[in-house]
Amino acid sequence: MSDVAIRPVGRSRRENLLERVVAAVTVVLIVVFSISIEGFATLGNLKVILSNAAAIAVLSCGMAVVVVTRGLDLSLVAQMVSGALTFSILVANGTPASIAILIAITTMALIGMLNAWMIAYVEIPAMLATLASAMFVTGLFRFAVLQGGFLLLLPKTDPTVAFFAGEVGPGLPVSVALMVATLAATWFLLNATARGRVIYAMGDNFQSARLTGLPVRTTTIVVYVFAALTALLAGLITSSASGAVDFRTVTNGTLLFDVILVVVLGGIPLRGGRGGLRNIVVGLALIVVLRNGMTLIDFTTQTQDMLKGLVLIVAIVTDNYLNPRDTETDTVGDL
Amino acid sequence: MTEKVFTRFRMATTAMLVGACAALGTNAPAHADSNIAGKKVIFVPIAMGISLTEGWVRRMKQHADIYGYTLDVRDAAFNTGAMTELLAKAISEKPDVLVVHNPTVQLLARQIKQAESEGIKVLQINLQSNQPSTAFVGANWERIGREIAGDIVKECGAGSGKSGKVAIVPGQLTAADSVIMNEAAFKVFKEHPEIEVVSNQASDWEPEKARQITATVLQQHPDLCAIFGHWDVHTMGAGNAVKDAGKADSVLVYSTGGGDSVACKAVEDGIQDRIWSYDADGQGRDAGTMIDLLLQGARSADGSMLIVESPLKIVKAGPEYDPSLCWKM
Repeated sequence: MSDVAIRPVGRSRRENLLERVVAAVTVVLIVVFSISIEGFATLGNLKVILSNAAAIAVLSCGMAVVVVTRGLDLSLVAQMVSGALTFSILVANGTPASIAILIAITTMALIGMLNAWMIAYVEIPAMLATLASAMFVTGLFRFAVLQGGFLLLLPKTDPTVAFFAGEVGPGLPVSVALMVATLAATWFLLNATARGRVIYAMGDNFQSARLTGLPVRTTTIVVYVFAALTALLAGLITSSASGAVDFRTVTNGTLLFDVILVVVLGGIPLRGGRGGLRNIVVGLALIVVLRNGMTLIDFTTQTQDMLKGLVLIVAIVTDNYLNPRDTETDTVGDL
Repeated sequence: MTEKVFTRFRMATTAMLVGACAALGTNAPAHADSNIAGKKVIFVPIAMGISLTEGWVRRMKQHADIYGYTLDVRDAAFNTGAMTELLAKAISEKPDVLVVHNPTVQLLARQIKQAESEGIKVLQINLQSNQPSTAFVGANWERIGREIAGDIVKECGAGSGKSGKVAIVPGQLTAADSVIMNEAAFKVFKEHPEIEVVSNQASDWEPEKARQITATVLQQHPDLCAIFGHWDVHTMGAGNAVKDAGKADSVLVYSTGGGDSVACKAVEDGIQDRIWSYDADGQGRDAGTMIDLLLQGARSADGSMLIVESPLKIVKAGPEYDPSLCWKM
């Protein structure tokens, strides 16, 4: 495969337009919030924004890599809660934290492999495969592990919980450090490995990638296992911070919606083949700034959901207008 | 002859003692002779798997075992769509008593009315709908809201030297308890202009959402005096945000809940300061007794709703802390 992608003149600039629009809107929001909301433009609030963004950023990394391959992982939040539950219940029963984390990593990797197997080998569309897996994982973990419960409360006195909820250095929470590490790992996977090239090729034209002899099946496994591991990390960050593993995040929450929102708004199209770290950061910035501002203004949760939904609709319409489907992009497997 | 009678008496006494010991040993409830045996009760909770509903069902089942009626539990698992379907199915089965746990004041109102019109007695438990029914067993949310607001005024109001800033973290703005508690609290706060409610955002009952809201509000209002969480479970997230911000000594965290041992642990760990407990274990027993009475034909003379208000226990941090106020599953 050539190192230089051949693209029509002007297309790259057009593709980046959504990302630029979202970045501009974010800057405008930051300026407006700084002027109009007391306490927004402070170092302390920046710390809160980063800390609250950690879990969604980590999940967005997993989702972005999947979406670039023209996939979608609807089981991400179910995996997040199940991973955190596996770890927490082992630690609560006296298993050393190192062993508990190894078991949790193995369990999540197996779930990622199950997703990948259904998509790459059984050839079930990603959306349906991961939707089914989300239901299966939620049911299995709720009834087999939590014995029908919804919630596991974690003591902050536990050293591992305290570690994830603590700071690595003055003013730098562990959650933020993990978020930066995950963003770096995502960049490395997409831009500095041969597997990253295959990921883009799969998203650009899956049939061509397969016919060219690229390892599309093993790459699907890598991608979904990577997503599962980001879900585990997000689960550990969230549960340690709030002191609870809560399955209502899967059944009732809007986290999955927020993650897809970050990816799409950042400029990673659901038809795959494009996007990277910069897109994740741009999408993330808009969502976390918007959420923080709306909380400071004291908007109700319903109003917040409504505005986020409106933003997503505008983004998708803009994306379709700026990147109209053509014979190259409008191929089998589109969502 | 006297010896024969004495021997028989000794044997009978021994048999009675052995029987009594056996009965005590199995810890089985005594069975009452009643005319309600074989009747059918269906309970549709918002969700099982939480101490509140598990505690109720444990006690209601004990009553069902004693009187010989059946108690079916249909778990809606926090899914309001599934809940209306489960309730429709339950109504079609024509139980003698239907126990419902309303997620919001509106959601089940029409179905409660339908059940009552079809002769099914509806017992609403802890969360009341807009639609009255035969009976209600549960907390007096107006009283809880008023009492907590009163306590906040005492701790944060005039003369306290505090900012008077309060953040409210309801579960859902349309949930019965949140609606009533907010109304009652705002009524109290209105009489005390020094109290300022700086945030009133629902957490959807999720601890993580409550944590994120609280962390943001604390940043904007570092001099916040109190947080009023509407349920101790999601308030765990809010309490953790306060603790992580190093403000556990200056911000009072209030909540309400069923008062199981987890609530006492939260107070011990300094995550929450004051919990108004409606004692889910006691509520379960009250609900069981109410079902027994409804099955025996109890109804108020004027057709109004029979109401059993749950007594409240206040679990407080500090020298007044008493772990015996909490119950264990």
